[in-house]
Amino acid sequence: MKSTNTLGTRSKVIIFSLLLLLLFLSFASAEEREVRILYLNDFHGFAESYRPLGSKEMLGGITYLAAKVNALRKEKPSLLLSAGDMMQGNAWANLFQGESVIELMNTMHFDAMVVGNHEFDFGQEVLKKRISEAEFPILGANVEGLGILKPYVIKEVNGIRIAIIGVTTEDTPVSTHPRNASGLKFLSPIDTVNKYAVEFKNTADIILVLSHIGYQVDRTLAEQVEGIDIIVGGHSHTRVGNPSIVGKTIIVQAWEHGKVLGVLDLTIDDGKIMKAEGHLEEIRPDIGEEDRDTLAVLQKYRQKVDSVLSERVGETELDLDGENVRRAETNLGDLITDITRQASGADVAILNGGGIRTSIKKGEIRVKDVYSVLPFDNYIVAIKLTGREIKEALEHGVSAIEKEEGRFPQVSGVVFTYSPSATIGSRLKEVIISGKSLEPDKEYSVATNDFLAAGGDGYRAFGDAIKASKDFEIIGGMMKGEKLVYSDSGRWLKDVVIQYIKEKKTIAPKTEGRIKEIP
Amino acid sequence: MKIYVNDKPVDIMPGMTVKHALISAGVLKQIEASKKAYDEWENEIGLDGALSEGMKIYVR
Repeated sequence: MKSTNTLGTRSKVIIFSLLLLLLFLSFASAEEREVRILYLNDFHGFAESYRPLGSKEMLGGITYLAAKVNALRKEKPSLLLSAGDMMQGNAWANLFQGESVIELMNTMHFDAMVVGNHEFDFGQEVLKKRISEAEFPILGANVEGLGILKPYVIKEVNGIRIAIIGVTTEDTPVSTHPRNASGLKFLSPIDTVNKYAVEFKNTADIILVLSHIGYQVDRTLAEQVEGIDIIVGGHSHTRVGNPSIVGKTIIVQAWEHGKVLGVLDLTIDDGKIMKAEGHLEEIRPDIGEEDRDTLAVLQKYRQKVDSVLSERVGETELDLDGENVRRAETNLGDLITDITRQASGADVAILNGGGIRTSIKKGEIRVKDVYSVLPFDNYIVAIKLTGREIKEALEHGVSAIEKEEGRFPQVSGVVFTYSPSATIGSRLKEVIISGKSLEPDKEYSVATNDFLAAGGDGYRAFGDAIKASKDFEIIGGMMKGEKLVYSDSGRWLKDVVIQYIKEKKTIAPKTEGRIKEIP
Repeated sequence: MKIYVNDKPVDIMPGMTVKHALISAGVLKQIEASKKAYDEWENEIGLDGALSEGMKIYVR
């Protein structure tokens, strides 16, 4: 009996201890809460899967990404965030000035987005319309003058109060056309976040910065501002495979174009992150399923894309020659360089013949004809060059005429003579601008595309001029440096050409003897 | 804006991207040949990515 009683007492002690443990565990688990952050950045309208440069496989595809979002949402209470630059960059977005992307994002039930610099590319009125169409808040705490943007949003998920502060790059006025940022002020993201981090220190469990300032600046932000728990970043198109930790701040970013979906799982206890695990989900058409609702939006705009590409732009009374652009002046080369020069207000325009890919037959011109002629997403840049530098650029342009390389120049505002049989480097004979011989030391403004300005096709003159240029600033609504006189990175040359032909309605360009070959 | 591509300095206009820096450094063809661009923290970066002053890019 004694032993039985002893066993009974021990049993009671064990049972009591287990009950205490269970009580403790249940109490503890009641305090720990989970939330999943799903994120995307720099989508740029890449709704369809595509094969990136150098890749052997198709990547991305918004319908596959949306299906992945759905599956991940089912597992845990989640937020779906975008770190900006969603609406511009791909014909699928540009042809509708971003409306197609906002419809996709509404369908996917995004929770918040920060405005990216390229969201301004269609102008402030279009941006306001897109923001009004969005069924989620679009943030921009450091943007002054656009009241429709919200500085932050508070989201409560699974009992966790998350303050989401949105900041975008201070470089917006120089990374879109400055007229698109006219009247707006882009304040320091660091000062702005600091202000809100103090404000939310005691009222939010988590402070999350939705940033479109680039990974390098995100790291500086984390170093300089206390109290940021998480930075979900964009702008630099960085593939942060495993979350970075800077101080006490977690930094993530999900590459670009919807090729991956970011996933960050958090366990929160008493307003503190106890555990954070993150990874990127690869998005490819050969894995996973398509989301039906997103597919419906995609298909709707696919039809619209076909319709817009078939739209009549105008008419040409002559065949437009894009075949001979690598060996001679052509009327299509003249037309495009004239438009480039006119749009930028430059003295001269020089484009690489290789950028013009096909011809247009006499008759109706449609949007897709111009897109076929100019398939690259180039924009117009104008830089001050000396007469000597222009001569150097043209000399380079005719240096591989026998190989019919893409460097052969198409020009406007300049007439030159060259001898293909002369030694390379000494082929250029005479150069005339505005009826006068080129003056070696005089500066002329020269329009080109961003590809040549960066040194593409071996053109060094533009890059050398940029190198010599002092600081860049906005003057009269335009980004200018000592040598830079025009840059419109938010508008493709092909769209400038379409606009020109639409306004003219009928064109009939003829070659004018701008490029003369002599023995 | 000065950027470093494989430790070689290149001067780039504001608003230009990783692609322009690689063109300027003459290494874009390496991307066509399946090499990739990385930042100084070993993160892969996309060709349309924005640049920051003093940024270091490595192609390999």
